[in-house]
Amino acid sequence: MREPLSIRATTYALLALFVFMVAVPLFWMVTTALKTNKDLYEDFTYLPRHPTLQHFVRVIERDGLLTNIWNSFAVASVTTAVTVVVSAFAAFSIVRYKYRGREWIGRFILFKYVLPTAMLFVSLYAIVVALGLGNTLKSLMLTYLSFTVPFCTWMLMGYFRSIPAELEEHAMVDGCTKIGALFRILLPLSAPGIVASAIFSFTLAWNEFLLALVFTSDQTTMTVPIKLSMMVVGDQYIWGQLMAGAVLATVPITILYFLGQRFVVQGLAAGSVKG
Amino acid sequence: MAIRHRSVAVALPAPARPARWPSARTRETLGGIGLLAPTVLLLLGLVLYPFFYAIWLAFSDKTVGSPGQFVGLRNFVYVLRWPQFSTAVWNTVVFTVSAVAIKLVLGMAVALVLNQQIRGRNFFRAFLLLPWAMPAFVVYLVWRWLYDPLSGLINYALIDLGLIASPIPFLSDRSTAMISVIVAHVWRNFPFYAISFLAGMQTISQELYDAAQVDGASRVQQFRHVTLPGLYHVIGVVVLLTTIWTANAFEPVYLLTGGGPSDATMVYTMLVYVMGMMNLRLGEAAAVSTLFLPLLIALVLAVTILLQRKANA
Repeated sequence: MREPLSIRATTYALLALFVFMVAVPLFWMVTTALKTNKDLYEDFTYLPRHPTLQHFVRVIERDGLLTNIWNSFAVASVTTAVTVVVSAFAAFSIVRYKYRGREWIGRFILFKYVLPTAMLFVSLYAIVVALGLGNTLKSLMLTYLSFTVPFCTWMLMGYFRSIPAELEEHAMVDGCTKIGALFRILLPLSAPGIVASAIFSFTLAWNEFLLALVFTSDQTTMTVPIKLSMMVVGDQYIWGQLMAGAVLATVPITILYFLGQRFVVQGLAAGSVKG
Repeated sequence: MAIRHRSVAVALPAPARPARWPSARTRETLGGIGLLAPTVLLLLGLVLYPFFYAIWLAFSDKTVGSPGQFVGLRNFVYVLRWPQFSTAVWNTVVFTVSAVAIKLVLGMAVALVLNQQIRGRNFFRAFLLLPWAMPAFVVYLVWRWLYDPLSGLINYALIDLGLIASPIPFLSDRSTAMISVIVAHVWRNFPFYAISFLAGMQTISQELYDAAQVDGASRVQQFRHVTLPGLYHVIGVVVLLTTIWTANAFEPVYLLTGGGPSDATMVYTMLVYVMGMMNLRLGEAAAVSTLFLPLLIALVLAVTILLQRKANA
């Protein structure tokens, strides 16, 4: 059915407004990264007059951002690998096994998913220092599990619940073990959920700021967010490099996000909103 | 390892076989606990222990490198008498309430627009989701640069359009700092509201709208009597969840203003950071977050119950 003209006009006007609102900061980030310093500070232009990649070259060569990108990548990959395995086991156990107390663990996992890291960072810092892990990437790989595992377990619990247990029961009648049924039946069937939880934990780890800021203090152990935020206070005229760094930090994660968007939206629906 | 034991499906009639130890039920329990063990260890070590350790810290004079002694309520007395603390409480409330309200309205508007039959809907949905797909720290760095009084886009464009005569120091003026931080935070986070509401709207049956139309309900009435009631649960969950996250936001303040100018944007997470990490007074820092604990736990329990109820329904 066609909408009345007034409704359609309002819809498109609002849509244009929202698109503009979202586009302006993105435009500013990308154009800044491509502008010469002259275009940035002396003779303002909206569009770069002489597009240049010099800021990208400088942020990589002079500021050594590749080290930090590698750090972020290492932390996010290890965190994700451990998270997916541990959460899949935990969700499988809570959803498919019957023993006393599992509802309480399920509730606690949800409680932690909601509880913000800001509540815990002071004591986590004291613990990390006491373990001798201060200023290491290991401290991040370890502590990031405290939010990725509850989040992904909760999401996978939703996924596993949506798949009928009869399929696994049939397999077990045919001689498959319960754990075998997890690997042969449940995991392949919940592949979208697994992909979504991997994307989520990678994104959460890649973007994490507070713990990385508190735990790491060396150029060589900093992750990208910390490195870039340190550059703000250093030099005054570094916005070209900063925005080039921002683009470099954004592109991989955004590509990942959109490749997995279908899974992510499904995962959100299964895990958090619809329950 | 317990998980190596072969287990049989409990629901099936058990074939006659000699009783074996462990029984099926014991094996079920052992298997379940074995699979759950890594998660339980993680939660004990990285959540429960730090949680209670933080509360202990609040009652101690611990600094980095010293063991710390029990000092009773001294940290709390110190913190409560301290003007910066009440400023932080007030700022956290202002930031949270206004940010959540704006995100709610904006997110609902975006969801309503995206729920219409518009051309290129998938493209626009993906595009409007971008701020949320970007790393938060990138967003706040970009906004800091947008707000720049000397070379920032906003000041330049406003002057260019003749709307202002001289640049506004958005982040370093007491009257504009908080609203500027809120705007940046809303920009980054409204898509979460929009996609949650959109997902909720798509579960509302078209028949309800058709019936409302037959009864002569206007657009506004349809929204009021069909859309909104269908979204109550989603709205409840999203608002509670993001109230918790917004009240605990750290990056917008740290990256945009650092709590300034003269504490105009000092929220409680920033205060904990300044106390603990810059002044290295872990006891007082933990006392600040412990004082927020009762409120936070109430919110967390409320949202946990809401989500749990839906999961079991």
